[in-house]
Amino acid sequence: MTTVSNRWAALLLLLVLVLSACSSTDDTADSTDDGAGGEDAAASDTPDDAGDSDDDAPDDDADDADDDTDDGAAASGTVATMRAAITGDEGTLTPYTYVTGFPGWNLLMLQYDSLMQIDVDGVPQPWLAESVDVSDDGLTYDMTLVDGVTWHDGEPFTAEDVVFTVDYFLANAAGRFSRNLGAVTEATADGDLGVTLTLEAPSPSFPLSTLSDVPILPEHVWSTVEDPETHQFEGPNVGTGPYTLEEYQSDTSYRLVANPDYFRGAPTVEELVIVQFADDAGALAAIRSGEVDVVFDQIAPEQVDLLGQQGTIEIAQGPEYSSQLLYFDASKAPFDDIAVRQAMSLAVDRQDLVDTVFLGAATVGSAGWIHPDQPTFNAEVETTTDLEQANALLEDAGYTDSDGDGIREADGEPMSYELLTPSGDSLRLRTAELVAAMLADVGIQANVSSVEQATWEEAVWPGFDVANGRNYDLAMWGWSAPIQADASRVASLVHSEIEIGSLNLTAFADPEMDEVAQALTVEGDDATRTELIGELQSLFAERLPFVTLLYPDGAYAYDAAVYDDWAFVNGQGIVSKLSLLEPAARP
Amino acid sequence: MGRFDTRRIGQYGLVLVIAVTLNFLLPRLMPGNPLALIAGVDVGLLSPDQRAELVQEFGLDTPVWQQYLRYWQDLLSLDLGYSYRSGQAILGMLLERLPWTLLLTGSALLISGVIGIVAGAVSAWRRGSALDLTLLTSMIGLESMPAFWLGMLLISGFAVSLGVLPSFGAETAVSGLEGWDRLVDIAEHAVLPVLTLSIVSTPGVYMTMRYSMLEVLGEDFIRTGRAKGATERRLLFRHVARNALAPVLTVLALRLGYAFGGTVVIETVFSYPGLGRLVFEAVGGRDYPVMQAAFLVFTFAVLAANLLAELVYPLLDPRTRASA
Repeated sequence: MTTVSNRWAALLLLLVLVLSACSSTDDTADSTDDGAGGEDAAASDTPDDAGDSDDDAPDDDADDADDDTDDGAAASGTVATMRAAITGDEGTLTPYTYVTGFPGWNLLMLQYDSLMQIDVDGVPQPWLAESVDVSDDGLTYDMTLVDGVTWHDGEPFTAEDVVFTVDYFLANAAGRFSRNLGAVTEATADGDLGVTLTLEAPSPSFPLSTLSDVPILPEHVWSTVEDPETHQFEGPNVGTGPYTLEEYQSDTSYRLVANPDYFRGAPTVEELVIVQFADDAGALAAIRSGEVDVVFDQIAPEQVDLLGQQGTIEIAQGPEYSSQLLYFDASKAPFDDIAVRQAMSLAVDRQDLVDTVFLGAATVGSAGWIHPDQPTFNAEVETTTDLEQANALLEDAGYTDSDGDGIREADGEPMSYELLTPSGDSLRLRTAELVAAMLADVGIQANVSSVEQATWEEAVWPGFDVANGRNYDLAMWGWSAPIQADASRVASLVHSEIEIGSLNLTAFADPEMDEVAQALTVEGDDATRTELIGELQSLFAERLPFVTLLYPDGAYAYDAAVYDDWAFVNGQGIVSKLSLLEPAARP
Repeated sequence: MGRFDTRRIGQYGLVLVIAVTLNFLLPRLMPGNPLALIAGVDVGLLSPDQRAELVQEFGLDTPVWQQYLRYWQDLLSLDLGYSYRSGQAILGMLLERLPWTLLLTGSALLISGVIGIVAGAVSAWRRGSALDLTLLTSMIGLESMPAFWLGMLLISGFAVSLGVLPSFGAETAVSGLEGWDRLVDIAEHAVLPVLTLSIVSTPGVYMTMRYSMLEVLGEDFIRTGRAKGATERRLLFRHVARNALAPVLTVLALRLGYAFGGTVVIETVFSYPGLGRLVFEAVGGRDYPVMQAAFLVFTFAVLAANLLAELVYPLLDPRTRASA
């Protein structure tokens, strides 16, 4: 009997040893269960979702823009197969079924093209349209299309397709694209290659927000599609893009195959297999084991060094335009008091947040909201941390701590508020904890309340419609890159009228800012626009419709031995068709 | 038997109706808004008109009782509708996922069942010995291990460090493998998740078996058997184990029901395309139709497993047979 029990004990010991040996390889899971929706929606107009495995690596080696560090690994030329990891499922990847703004829209646009294409600096360049002329009044866009472009099924691409696309999106509400085209009153074709779009009002950001964003559909395929959300297409989606989607298995994988006849030349990767993971921990394990060659999701700051030490894995880094913000309901006391808002902004040590939570891999937020890397950034806007001044502001405004418990009172009530933050986003949660500690230094108590993604959205943005009001005191919020990338969107963030201020979740109202914001939406002259955006930033920093904390940088892990020709698009990252085209074919 | 049928079937029917109703209500009581899914994430970009159009299209603007009636109609005609997320027909999605889930949970059920029963029997038979204590403590240790942590440990060891097993998925994506090779590939992918699931579910079976055996060992007929000079082995297998199995098999039958539900944690850690993950994604995104269809499958499976357990128990344990 003893021999048996000894053997058992030995086996058990062995098991323990094996397990502990395994665990030393350190598999940090930054991710928590964020739900399906919690998939990095870096989409035009959604809160920058929880579950965003945010960002990246120490700044000291930040190679901005295209990180092309060749270390003798395989360079360009063609790669037979590349495997990329994404988190979550993106449906059948048609313009009506893709799920998230990032990476969903990016993958959609591998199959489709838009009239213009953003270059690595984030500036729209001619693409399907080889020339784009805007009339002086900003109401008419005359375009000449590239000759000889064909759809994946061999049919020729013509001006009729463009006209059809505009009409189709306007007739079948599809969210992003229908809304972007909402300003178009008429689309007409002139011969096979001429297209004219007429707008109801000048829209300076039209090339960026619409011409570079909307996928052009083939009329001969879509003219019979009546229910685009549930329509099941036979065979691959038909576009003009560099890839066709040959296979899709939900929650498993996509298989995209290069289109050899692509009008900008054949793509550099012949077969792109996109593997779907349930969470980012799985994706990280897979790139470390060599099962995938690139992760199409941002890498969390603490992962960067770890991954960088692994064999041929490299990190592409650059500025992203997503944001971490402190939101409040500015329509009710005490947040309707400018002194309170200013005190909160002064209380926050943004550099501390960047260093502590993001390990340096983020850009300190500007009180004027516009990212310092933006061409329209107003360098005169100062963002300061000053506890003394913050406390003085609050004292002078009559918020005193009469009972000596360290919490000030507003109208006899202690200044103690719930700070909502989504549970699926650990970086945001840590940011919230630090912000709460900083606010405590000026006598404002913020109780961090970590709730599920949908609950959080419902409190801050009920029904995704500001007309429904809002239901919170303090909240961590964040917008995805496109909101920052298009500076004129600032109007929708601050304008007090619901029609214009469709993203004004803080219920902010200020006549002077309304005026400037509105002027900005219709001003066509670049110099004047920059001036207006500069003015708006000064007003923003003073009146604080919300407190801008920081902008996480982007970091993507890839195996340089497989492919290292990634193009880092400023504010968008590496997931785009630019990364998969010959350098000469990029805009 | 006849009397059992009518009364029981009535009971099961009632439970089913209640379950289906709850199934309809629960997702609607959750906070959050399915619009985000229907319109894609850019819902904030929709104009109020466009938003209203979508709400109408998906019948979200009708009174709840109308939605409820429509729900029953669709159910009875086996129309499970379409996913808000991907626009795919849900029935097809479920049928696509079910085999994977059953492969995972079924294998783990078998493995944990066999190991649990054998170890439990041995443990009880040698009650109080060093072997029993070793088994007992290690089982308690295993039971307290969180499944996701164990799964990540195994991934980190076998996939990342050693590189001997795949870390995710049910098979190599777009492998082009066929026939035998594909089977091998699927088996390789199943090793870690099945192992994880087996490890965390064995202790439950073991505990039940051990306890049940100890009960039986204390009974009179065992003493009688010993007195009659039956061999240890014969006693253990013919008399004790057989009688002790009834409660264990009941536990396993119920687990079979839950097996249809997949296992959210394991399927998430290993990115395995089973039902559990489908539900996980659907819940996160308020994909009502998918949630409802999946929960319905679980409800049926659990009820069926209950029924099975009820029918099987008398066959195992003569004492519970109805006196005809």
